[in-house]
Amino acid sequence: MTLTATAPAKAPRRTTKPGRRRSVLSFWRFYLALSPFYLIFLVFGLYPVASTILLAFQKWDGLGPRKMVGLQNFGFLIEDSTFWLSLWNTVILFVMSTVPTLVIAMTLAVMLHSAVRFKGIYRIAYFIPNITSLVAAAIFFAAVFSTNFGLINAVLRSLGLPTEDWLRQPWGIKIAISTMIVWQWAGYNTIIYLAGLQAIPTEQYEAAKVDGAGPFRTFFLITLPQLRPVVLFTVIMSTIGGLQTFTEPQVMVGNNGGTGQSGMTVVMYFYNQAFFNNDYGYAGAIALSIFMLVLLFTAINWKLLGGRGRQ
Amino acid sequence: MELSRRTLIAGGFAAMLGTTVGCSSSMDTGSTKKNAGGNIAMWCWPGGLGKTVLDDTIAHFPDQHIKYSEVGGDFKQKLLTTLNGGTAIPDITGIKGEDIASMLPQANRFVDLKSIGADSILGDYLEWKVKQATTLDGKVLGIPIDIGPTALFYREDVFTAGGLPGDPAKVAGQLKTWDDFLAAGVELKMSNPKAFIVADATDLYGTIVNQGTARYIDKDNKFIGDQDHIRKAWDTAVKAVTLKVDGKTLGGSPDWNAGLDQGTVPTVTGAAWVALDIKAACKTSVGKWRVAPTPSGPANFGGSFLAITKNAADPAAALEVIKYMLSADNEAKAFADAQIFPATPAAYDKPQLKAADPFFGGQVPIEVFGPAAKSIPIAYEAPLDSAIAVPFTDGLKLVQAGKKSSDAAWSEAVAKAKQIGKRQGVQ
Repeated sequence: MTLTATAPAKAPRRTTKPGRRRSVLSFWRFYLALSPFYLIFLVFGLYPVASTILLAFQKWDGLGPRKMVGLQNFGFLIEDSTFWLSLWNTVILFVMSTVPTLVIAMTLAVMLHSAVRFKGIYRIAYFIPNITSLVAAAIFFAAVFSTNFGLINAVLRSLGLPTEDWLRQPWGIKIAISTMIVWQWAGYNTIIYLAGLQAIPTEQYEAAKVDGAGPFRTFFLITLPQLRPVVLFTVIMSTIGGLQTFTEPQVMVGNNGGTGQSGMTVVMYFYNQAFFNNDYGYAGAIALSIFMLVLLFTAINWKLLGGRGRQ
Repeated sequence: MELSRRTLIAGGFAAMLGTTVGCSSSMDTGSTKKNAGGNIAMWCWPGGLGKTVLDDTIAHFPDQHIKYSEVGGDFKQKLLTTLNGGTAIPDITGIKGEDIASMLPQANRFVDLKSIGADSILGDYLEWKVKQATTLDGKVLGIPIDIGPTALFYREDVFTAGGLPGDPAKVAGQLKTWDDFLAAGVELKMSNPKAFIVADATDLYGTIVNQGTARYIDKDNKFIGDQDHIRKAWDTAVKAVTLKVDGKTLGGSPDWNAGLDQGTVPTVTGAAWVALDIKAACKTSVGKWRVAPTPSGPANFGGSFLAITKNAADPAAALEVIKYMLSADNEAKAFADAQIFPATPAAYDKPQLKAADPFFGGQVPIEVFGPAAKSIPIAYEAPLDSAIAVPFTDGLKLVQAGKKSSDAAWSEAVAKAKQIGKRQGVQ
């Protein structure tokens, strides 16, 4: 490029070159500058993904030779009741944690938005759970829900209510896990909603006030529609995160998912097959199914929340 | 030089292909690529080897330049990844007891210690432990670092207050079998409704299976998990539930830790190293614990090995290091150092193991663990064993929680176990 500028005499010859090719070649510096990301993505992103997909059609114990087995892993997967159970658990846990998280986050965000004092302190307080170590938090929650010395049962006992073996009952396990996810993610989504709220022009609120709309009408007719893209973002992020729940149940109820394998999620099942049973091919097939599940849910969310806005 | 999109993509694919080919070729030739001579790289996990013994061994072999790496986290996974990677493979590596069964099919990655003259020392170690590291065709992959013989840890004060004997010899006399043990539990609960003699029926089941001479899969790769030896263990665990002497307190949970000290978990059936967990949990009950033999005989939980990889530059020199490090004297030292329980019977007579333990009211624990270690039953453990055990423990948990009847849970567990086995070609 600099060459054409300093030597105009040669310019006509240059223009005879095919334009597309020239532009690609002459931008090599930019490609070079971009390349670190793509190289790292290639090595740590694309290659493992491609390798996992290949693995799903193979049998491999982690050390010996890999053997192509075609669709055998998927055949086992369809017959495997534990796999379907883990899939069901994952979806239930996702609903049990995401719905309360987003409702609480929205409520908190609206409250924080109208609060005048100590805004910064509240924001920090709500965000701290999100940056707390997951394992430490899970150990803490396991203690809170423990049968004889847990906080929840202590409160129930002091109110004269019957106590529960939370981490020994299939539903208790799910409640404990989803409570922890809500605790961890409500603050994060609050901050995102708050940012969205602050971007809504105040004129709309003023106009609504002049027209005589109360706070609830204002919220449902102005705030929520204006926040639609932000809500879509949080729902998609929660879906991707929620369908990959792993650490919370693993620390709270152990690698096998507790009573009735109620805490066994698909990612945990995948982890067990690969790293405990050394069945890497089968694990690859499970990983592929998680990918399809996330894709499916994201598509559903997109249709439900994003689609209407464009029409 | 111009870097176009096309060359970039081509280059990327070439790199990817290169890695793939590199991986698969290293898989075939990795075992023949030798490490550089004159150095011995050794891997183990934190706390796997006694520190004084380790320092002493490194100093004892100055010419070998032993380079010890403490590998934290998921040790087996890191070892597998490194073996697959084909470089920086250690000469000597630790293998955990729970991983040894899954390593046996990979015998070609390790040196058969019998082929380099380990025969002379194998007799120094407990026979059943060496057998765990022996392949079906007789290759020995590892020398035992330690073992985990079980015993019955119990609260002397809770036992005597509940009308049971407190003295270890008398406890041993009365609690000979699990049935005796459960009967004692019923008696204890009558006078002390908060004390459950079985901490967790699922753990009890695991212990009974470990006491047996057969597990879920036999040597011919046949499923035997639906047979009497497993059903008996199952029924005993269910009996603990129906007699209401099951505390349903998962080992290691906050409830378990608190229960140990408060006397609501008055017994623990566990390996020698469980003593460390009990000691960590107990503040007020120091000196009130005792050790008695496991009802219905001893079992083993854990205990690891040192193995030599095929990549070792000088397997004979590596074996010399292992021989020194895991001699009876040094295993006794490692016990004094970090409670690593020796796999060499000769070590049980050493002063380090003969010491009385004030935590156990001045009792000498080796008097229980020593005889237990020598009479642990040998059972063939298939690589898939731990995976097949899962449906059974899950089924028991459902019985424990009152969600399923014993028979319904049993037939479901057997069906699930067979399904898992089928995936790996178990008949």
